[in-house]
Amino acid sequence: MKVHHLPSRETFTHLKDASKKGLHASERAVGRSVNEARLMASLAVGLLLVGFLLVAQWRGAATFTRSLDRQSDQNLAIIIQEIAAENNALRGEIVRLQMRLMETGMESEDRSRVLNEAAKEMQAVRLVSGLDAVSGPGIVVAISDPERVLLPQDFVRLVHELRAGGAEAIAVNGTRVSATSGFAGGDGSIIINDVVFSRTYEVSVVGDPDNLAQALELPGGLRSTLLTFPGVNVEISPAEEVRVAAGLHGEFVYAQKVENP
Amino acid sequence: MLVLALALALGITLGLLTNVSVPLGMLTYLGVAVLAAIDACFGGVKASLEGTFDDKVFISGFLTSTLMAAFIVFVGDRIGVRELYLAAVVAFGMRIFENLGSVRRLMFARWGWE
Repeated sequence: MKVHHLPSRETFTHLKDASKKGLHASERAVGRSVNEARLMASLAVGLLLVGFLLVAQWRGAATFTRSLDRQSDQNLAIIIQEIAAENNALRGEIVRLQMRLMETGMESEDRSRVLNEAAKEMQAVRLVSGLDAVSGPGIVVAISDPERVLLPQDFVRLVHELRAGGAEAIAVNGTRVSATSGFAGGDGSIIINDVVFSRTYEVSVVGDPDNLAQALELPGGLRSTLLTFPGVNVEISPAEEVRVAAGLHGEFVYAQKVENP
Repeated sequence: MLVLALALALGITLGLLTNVSVPLGMLTYLGVAVLAAIDACFGGVKASLEGTFDDKVFISGFLTSTLMAAFIVFVGDRIGVRELYLAAVVAFGMRIFENLGSVRRLMFARWGWE
């Protein structure tokens, strides 16, 4: 009969010890790794915070060193001096720029004033020299000469009388009588500015209608003289609006302007 | 150790990215608090090398020393002893260097350089 040897108590104990040991070792290992992880995690969080705070502190300190609170009295005095000097320089600059602005403004004002005056003068000169058509109150003198007895000198006299009466612009049959105009002709026709007229003449005059009419209607004046010629009739009618055409621009060939007379 | 260096770098990067700046009035308080935090971290490293690290101790130490440090400076400001922050700075500075020395020695011991 085979005898079964049961494992002795020692063997069990041994096995149990071994398993127990093994278990403990793994448990310890697990415990250690858990512990290690917690250690690392908490330290890592701490260091993360430290890094973050360090940077924040660094920034704050940088602004603090730059701030004026931090400067020594000497530095502050120097800073104040520098700022005062800069301030003065800037004030000077402001004054300089303001003066320049004023000068420029005056200059442009002057220039525009001169230009305005020049334009006005130009306008006056153009009016006087008959370069512009004008209109205004005045008189219209209608002269009919069916017998063709009138001479150029009659018209010269007419123009003189009108100018003496304050005529500002004169035209004969639409031809402007300007400073350079002359009367020529004869034999019953009149030539003004190279234009020939005869028989009927309409003289438009801009000026004070009363004065002009008076200048012609004076006793022994031009009108009465003209009326003594055979067939000649003179009608003087004042008008609210007389239009006088523009004259031609004459070219000076011989006359030169004299500088500094 | 690599993890810790990475954590520090990450904290610095976060600080740079978020562009936070401590207001002037808080500068001293936070400065001392940062010193306390550095001290706590060195203490934690030392403890971990010694094998006596306990996360509860570390976290509570970290929080209380930072808060207390700032509080001491605050109190100093309030009671007219503005130099009180010097005491905190000196204390934490000394502890930081002590811990650093211990860490160095423990590292040598671990790597067998002794």
